[in-house]
Amino acid sequence: MSAGNRLSASSPSGSIFDLGYRHYAGKRHGRWYAAWSLYVESLRGVWGFGRPMSAKAAPFILAGLYSFFAFLQLAFSSTLANEISSGQQVQLFAYDSYFTQFGFLLILFCVAQAPEVVCRDQRYQVLSLYFTRAMGRADYALARLASLATALFLALIVPMIALFVGDVLMKPDTISAIGVELPKALPAIPADILIAASMASISLALSSYSPRRAYSAIGLIAYFLLMEAVPAIIYAVAQQGGWTSADKLVLLTPITSLSGATDWFFGKALGADYPATLGADTYVVACIASVAVFSAILLFRYRRMAA
Amino acid sequence: MVIMGARLHWGNRVSMALIETASLTKDYGAVKALDRLDLQVEPGIIGLVGANGAGKSTLIKILLGLVPPSSGRASVLGLDVVSDTREIRKVVGYMPEHDCLPPDVGATEFVTHMARISGLPRTAARERTAEVLRHVGLYEERYRQIGGYSTGMKQRVKLAQALAHDPTLLLLDEPTNGLDPTGRDEMLDLIKRTGTDFGISVIVASHLLGEIEQVCTFLLAIDAGHLLKAAPISTFTQRTPVVAVEVEEGADRLTAALTSRGFKARQEEQCVLLVLESEALYDAVRDTVADLGLPLVRVQQERRRLEDIFREPEQEPEPVAGGVQ
Repeated sequence: MSAGNRLSASSPSGSIFDLGYRHYAGKRHGRWYAAWSLYVESLRGVWGFGRPMSAKAAPFILAGLYSFFAFLQLAFSSTLANEISSGQQVQLFAYDSYFTQFGFLLILFCVAQAPEVVCRDQRYQVLSLYFTRAMGRADYALARLASLATALFLALIVPMIALFVGDVLMKPDTISAIGVELPKALPAIPADILIAASMASISLALSSYSPRRAYSAIGLIAYFLLMEAVPAIIYAVAQQGGWTSADKLVLLTPITSLSGATDWFFGKALGADYPATLGADTYVVACIASVAVFSAILLFRYRRMAA
Repeated sequence: MVIMGARLHWGNRVSMALIETASLTKDYGAVKALDRLDLQVEPGIIGLVGANGAGKSTLIKILLGLVPPSSGRASVLGLDVVSDTREIRKVVGYMPEHDCLPPDVGATEFVTHMARISGLPRTAARERTAEVLRHVGLYEERYRQIGGYSTGMKQRVKLAQALAHDPTLLLLDEPTNGLDPTGRDEMLDLIKRTGTDFGISVIVASHLLGEIEQVCTFLLAIDAGHLLKAAPISTFTQRTPVVAVEVEEGADRLTAALTSRGFKARQEEQCVLLVLESEALYDAVRDTVADLGLPLVRVQQERRRLEDIFREPEQEPEPVAGGVQ
């Protein structure tokens, strides 16, 4: 065995190939660098980089499907432009409604990848290696959260860019089209940041409670389905019964709230599906509060976890 | 030459005691894992022995700042375990007892990542990883996924990640767990090299005394949270003047006869253990055996083993207390 040879070669008789042990006298960074390193590794991990090919399948397929329709529109932008110029009514995908239409694909993205981010270290007991280094537990949790939020933001923003490019290309004068389209597209950035932060904090906070991927994934699916359906049903029933304060329950829904908040960023009036009693700004507040609450749950979980 | 270098290295980097504790106590409810432990340990390869549940892992966790002490004080390299946790962790490498490796990455990638978490810049982390993996004896297989490694290779990766940032002190918790005899010997050899050639102080926790004896320079024996003994390994393994007289039968009669002749003797199955303080003992044994007509098997001077301190934790760790009166 090569290892055995190696060990015997290191005996006092020595070997000319053995350079000996050299101490490290270079620079050592602190906790922020450690957190940054974990963030980068974690972000790569969400997309399956540095992992087997099979690990890349889920994130790329789901994010690809989410972007697919925007790229389809981009690919056919010249055809669509001709149809529009000939006076036909064309229903295009818009910045403000894209997430509402295809957001379920990102729920699947979270279900697949959030457990990957936090369950692995618990299952294989890697946490004790992190927590015995110059990295705090909060640093660990926040770096993981930031990495999933960044991955989601990338998944969200790519179709927005595709839509933007498509919309610009449909116009005859590209330069002036950029000036017209950019203000319409820019609210997508804050809206997507909020969506990414909210979905990442919910997914990680819930996933961190189980070291098993499967249980975390089932928990996430259950949460997203139930929290979408139950408040909406109660609200519908309450409307019949004349219970007016039931409209607040809609703020608990993860995806409907995010869609409402997106409308606020784009300055769009809420649709008929939303309770008329609540303004779009309420949903923004509710989403920010949900980010705070779920981040706190995540931090609490890691504060208590045995290493 | 290498050892001199190692000592210089220890001397340069560690001017204070490696570990100091004062009345260190840790209780988990009714269970006292550590009970008023007072230690002062100098740099070297330190064996931490004790049965399962003796408090070894608790002590290591306190030293790493993973668990706060219930009372008392502890410091590592002069840094307090409660207030200077972060500073301690920068200079300490830890190899846990349990599995701690994700199966779906290669050893190189994992150890580089851990080196970066320890604060090493990217290039330095890569270089150090290549170096420590070579030192622990992982070559081509270091690019393969860890999930496909043998237990021995996994233990090497665990050691490598603890060494990656060039710590001043290594804390190894049961490093030979699950290894076959060859793997165990190689791991012990590696630990010895780490302590001597690399000049890194090592604390090895183990319940196997025979292993500790092979590699350590200093031994801490703890039992039920109490310090049983802390001394250089040489005092545990030095030849003690104990003579074992084995007879096929009549060991009890021989013990009684020798005791009556003024020797303190202890019977252990077919053996009688006696402390050799003068050559007269041999004559006395010969005469007594002849007088009693016992079938003598052997008369042998024995080395006191580490196990003895656990056999009789209450007394002086000698098979026979006393001697010729």
